[in-house]
Amino acid sequence: MTTNPDLAPDLTAADYPLSVHRPELLHTPTGKTLDDLTMAAVVAGDITSEDLRISPETLALQGQLAAAAGRRQLAENFQRASEMTTIPDAEVLEMYNSLRPNASTAAQLEEIASKLENTYSATTCAALVREAAQVYAARNLLAEEESPVAPLAPQEA
Amino acid sequence: MTAVAPRAEGTGASLTTSKRTEVLEDRPVNLDGFVEEWPEKGLVAMESDFDPQPSVRVEDGRIVELDGRTRDQFDFMDTFIADHAIDVDTCEAAMATESVEIARMIVDPRTSRADVVAVGRGLTPAKILDVVKLMNVVEIMMGIQKTRSRRTPANQAHSTSAKDNPIQVAADAAEGAVRGFAELETTLGVVRYAPLVAIGLQVGGQVGRGGVLTQCALEEATELDLGMRGITAYAETISIYGTESVFVDGDDTPWSKAFLASAYASRGIKMRFTSGTGSEVQMGNAEGRSMLYLEIRCILMAKGAGVQGLQNGSISCIGVPGAVPGGIRAVAAENLVASWMDLECASGNDQSFSHSAMRRTSRLLPQMLPGTDFVCSGYSAVPNKDNMFAGSNLDTDDYDDWNVIQRDMQVDGGLRHVREDVILQVRNKAARAMQALFAELDLPPITDEEIEAATYANSSDDYPDRDVLADLEGARSVMERGITGIDLVRFLERAGFGDVAENYLQVLRQRVSGDLLQTAAVLTGDFTPLAAINDANDYAGPGTGYRLTGERWEELKKLRHVTSAENPEEEVV
Amino acid sequence: MTAASDLAASGSAAPVDSVRTLALNEVGPAERGTRPEEVVIALSPAFGDPFTKTIVDVPHAEVIRQLLAGIEERGGVARVIKVYKTADLAAIAHHGAKLSGSGIAVGVLSRGTTVLHQRDLARLSNLELFPQAPLLDAEVFRMIGSNAAQYAQGQSPKPVPTRNDQMARPRWQAKAALLHLKEFECIDHSREAVEVEPVITKVD
Repeated sequence: MTTNPDLAPDLTAADYPLSVHRPELLHTPTGKTLDDLTMAAVVAGDITSEDLRISPETLALQGQLAAAAGRRQLAENFQRASEMTTIPDAEVLEMYNSLRPNASTAAQLEEIASKLENTYSATTCAALVREAAQVYAARNLLAEEESPVAPLAPQEA
Repeated sequence: MTAVAPRAEGTGASLTTSKRTEVLEDRPVNLDGFVEEWPEKGLVAMESDFDPQPSVRVEDGRIVELDGRTRDQFDFMDTFIADHAIDVDTCEAAMATESVEIARMIVDPRTSRADVVAVGRGLTPAKILDVVKLMNVVEIMMGIQKTRSRRTPANQAHSTSAKDNPIQVAADAAEGAVRGFAELETTLGVVRYAPLVAIGLQVGGQVGRGGVLTQCALEEATELDLGMRGITAYAETISIYGTESVFVDGDDTPWSKAFLASAYASRGIKMRFTSGTGSEVQMGNAEGRSMLYLEIRCILMAKGAGVQGLQNGSISCIGVPGAVPGGIRAVAAENLVASWMDLECASGNDQSFSHSAMRRTSRLLPQMLPGTDFVCSGYSAVPNKDNMFAGSNLDTDDYDDWNVIQRDMQVDGGLRHVREDVILQVRNKAARAMQALFAELDLPPITDEEIEAATYANSSDDYPDRDVLADLEGARSVMERGITGIDLVRFLERAGFGDVAENYLQVLRQRVSGDLLQTAAVLTGDFTPLAAINDANDYAGPGTGYRLTGERWEELKKLRHVTSAENPEEEVV
Repeated sequence: MTAASDLAASGSAAPVDSVRTLALNEVGPAERGTRPEEVVIALSPAFGDPFTKTIVDVPHAEVIRQLLAGIEERGGVARVIKVYKTADLAAIAHHGAKLSGSGIAVGVLSRGTTVLHQRDLARLSNLELFPQAPLLDAEVFRMIGSNAAQYAQGQSPKPVPTRNDQMARPRWQAKAALLHLKEFECIDHSREAVEVEPVITKVD
């Protein structure tokens, strides 16, 4: 995981929870510390939703903790998540919907992968999308050129 | 009459049944449905000749054969599990270990949780099934006791309303929180009500006990939207399935769900997946596999996606495993496998299960006695008729029974008895906080009459009807105005509910630190995250692990009616 | 209230004195109708044969009788088709709607699950859905028929009140799964839908 070594020391289980044991390592994507997030600041209108987000660096720290606990896949998830922090909410939702079965053509999935890679430097996310495209092609789950057939989810008693 | 087994009634002439049979026929358990197994179609719990034999083969650092299928025969579940869930470096050695040896490791207290989890990382679904098939229900409980990820057990509640009344949801959330639930979940009859009901759940929860986490079960994209706004704190209804065809019917794939898992984490929001035995056969596409085999594929898919946890234990399909032989053993086994695979396990007991009180209890014990991360993934904190998840195995009527069972068995099921004055106080305060918040948000007013009703109510019948159309218009405006959690904090503070606002802000601050993203994380009353890192399960046999002792045990000794030893003419208060 | 006691309360679902049997006599291929007030009743592969009753023992003869009566008393005309290629309720009903002179169809599965569909809607959408088969009795089927006729005539009837029973799951979920699997076995991918003439015979 590529992060600033000053910000990302080798963490161990003893550092968890970071909010209690290592608050000095934490900051919001807007540059605020946990101590800045006070009620007074909220009332003064100095805190917005943007200030209550996790930063990519923090996700990298949590990834270290997960890996130290032997949870490789959880750490990989945090890696993808750290890449996604800069993607706007609506676009994240749009990408998710594009990954649903029969929703996208191979070209459309490649377009998403390229955008992840080039616009957001989200290389592991791009890899996940490319992997999906390969499997969807093999399993006949890519969109037809026309509108896709809606799948059925029977939920009857 | 009963449509299942029509009985000859009133004929009088020839007695074809004994009086005892008549009594037995009238027992509630005979209203439950039971069916014969049909293994060819997957209508079988966990012992089927049609499940594959375990196998694995690695070539060039890649799994090329899994449970009898070669890579060219893989469906997308096989591919995802082979490429993401199973540890390629250790799988051949792990698979070479005799199943009975692994089963004994799970039960033997001298084998550490870490060792059991390590061997599990290299196993295929068929091998895992082969292992748990060797275990009886007591051994499965032993396994859950050792492998659950968090040391301290907890519980989760449903707080919903048949009328989608946000004041009711707030009051019942407050009571649920003060009774001890660590997480609260809601859902809707009319989906458009969601913003107001989710706000009710959050505000009520923080009145009852600061640090309670809340969620609102909705369609995937909407659920994420409410989470991103900070109106909810976590998400759970992210469904996965054990066959490719049913997964696609649910309009998702392992890759779309893995992407969604990362999306939640990228906003600092806790999330777990949901799966359970019976869903595939219920939808007619079990591909001839047993319910448990397919559920193990779900569990490994969840692990491969890197999601921290899973809600399983059949969940909304409980009527299917519940109707076949050994079905409830299989349900306990799926909880064990989720725990063994090192996932947070919210272990079911969350859907109406049986007409028989005795059967409802026996279905509960394999999770309650060993303790799980959330014993119920939805104990109904409202009467079942108000439960919009279609009813739970436990509801508000069972609160005292639950507390007595905890005390009888000296087992911590996450709840406690709370004095009436405390309950009335938090219910009243939750309703007043909602009244003030609605006024600040310019939403349809909440009357004093509604607050009075919320304080003393049992069900939605006890509340005045609200102007539903006006509420729905208000709900729409909350979304359109882009109201967020931080707005709600500010309004609560301004309206004089500073402590509630402070609790809510503390919950929102958690997403900056990401501490709640770690496996099985919950928040204590002083906002300390408790996860399978700083509260890792250290069970290693008698005298170790979580023990119900000290202050907590004293708390659980209290019941509604306990005769005083000092003065037997009085009850302990 | 359980599904069974609910049924008993309505009193009309399980005739005690007489039994009606249903024969679905094949008339020919299911074709598109032309009568503007026509409602198509589209039945699933196992409806009537081999199954004879819904999950709560409402005879299929009674289901058809009540649907027809409901349609007729609102001035509609009905045509019945049987579908063999799928056991998917939405697909069955949508197919029926496309063949219906009015564009309105009632789709019914053997176990009783029913949907009101309209030609111009997406397949997974519907006018009214009755997903809990254990709660559908003769009275409800009649109301469904009545609403179908009104939709066919371009009216907007009040939806049939939905019932809910939280104990339906423990009682009926597994049997529903079993019936679903059996219905799947009756699918014949090579057989086109046929128009049938329902013949209801009263047996004393």
